Amino acid sequence: MSTRLSGPERRQSILKESQRLFAEKGFHGVSIDEIARAVDVSPAILYRHFSSKQALYDAVLLELSSQRESYVDAVVNSDANFEEVLIGMTEVFIRSIDTNPNLLRIEMQSLLDGNPATSEFFENRWKSFSDYINFSMNERLSYDLANREITILSASLMFQGMVREALLQKYLQPQDRLVDISLEELSRELVTLFLRAIGLQQTQLSQKETGDSALPETIISPS
Amino acid sequence: MSDFDSELDASGLNCPLPILRAKKAISALENGQTLKIIATDPGSVKDFEAFCKQTGNELLSSGEEGGKFVFMIKKP
Repeated sequence: MSTRLSGPERRQSILKESQRLFAEKGFHGVSIDEIARAVDVSPAILYRHFSSKQALYDAVLLELSSQRESYVDAVVNSDANFEEVLIGMTEVFIRSIDTNPNLLRIEMQSLLDGNPATSEFFENRWKSFSDYINFSMNERLSYDLANREITILSASLMFQGMVREALLQKYLQPQDRLVDISLEELSRELVTLFLRAIGLQQTQLSQKETGDSALPETIISPS
Repeated sequence: MSDFDSELDASGLNCPLPILRAKKAISALENGQTLKIIATDPGSVKDFEAFCKQTGNELLSSGEEGGKFVFMIKKP
C-alpha cells in the first residue's frame, strides 16, 4: 500500500493526479478506479476526501480557475506605457500556461461542459486583459466616435482571441511551428500586431513616455 | 482631518489596473503624503505588498473593510 501521507498531503496528491488525468482524458474518460490507482490508494480512501467523481472534478476546476497571476512586475519594471505593460502581462500569462498546460486544457473542457468554473476562469484570469484594455482605451479614445463602446469591446475580444489561439497552437498542438517561438517573442509579436490593428502607429509607440499615462498621447480613431 | 491626502477607488478592477492607478496617484503626491486605496481584487493584498517593496513606498496598513480591501501607502 502507499506511503503514509497526512490528510492535506493526500488530498493534494489526489488533486494533482486527477488534474493530469482529467486534462488528458476529460471528465468522462477517467474513472475513480483509475485515479485511485494513479494515486496508489484504494477508492475507499479517495471517497473519504471527495464524495464523488463530480466533486473531485469540481475541486480540480476550482483550484485552476482561481489561480491569479500577478502583473506587478509588468508595471514596476516598465515605464508603464500601454505597450510595455501589455507585453509584460502577456508574458506572465503565457508563462503560466507554459508551466502548466493543464490550465488551458481544463479551461477548454470546462467551457465545453458548461461548468460554472468557466466564469471563474474569466474573472480570475482573462478579466485582467479585458479590464486593462477597456480602461486604457476608454481614457484615450475620442468620445464622439461612433460605435465607441463596440470598438472597445471588440478590441478587447480581439486581443484575448489572439492570445488564446496562440496558446492553443503552441501548447495543445505541440507539432506546430509555434513551439519554437519563445514566449517573450510571441508576447511582443502579439501586442505589436494588436496595437497596429487598433490604429496605433509604431512611431507613436516608440516615443518614450514619462511613465504615468496608459496610452500614448494619440487619439485612436479606427476607420 | 483625515489621515490620508488622496483616495483611489479601484473597486471591480483586476490586477494590474489598481497598481497602475496607484502608481499614477502616488506620482502626484508630495513626499510624506499618504494615499488610501480601495480594491476588490483578492490578489491586491499580495500585489500591493510587492509593489511597495519594489518601489520603496511605505505600506502603512493593509486590511479588509466590508468585503473590500483597503491600503494606506505613504510616499517616502
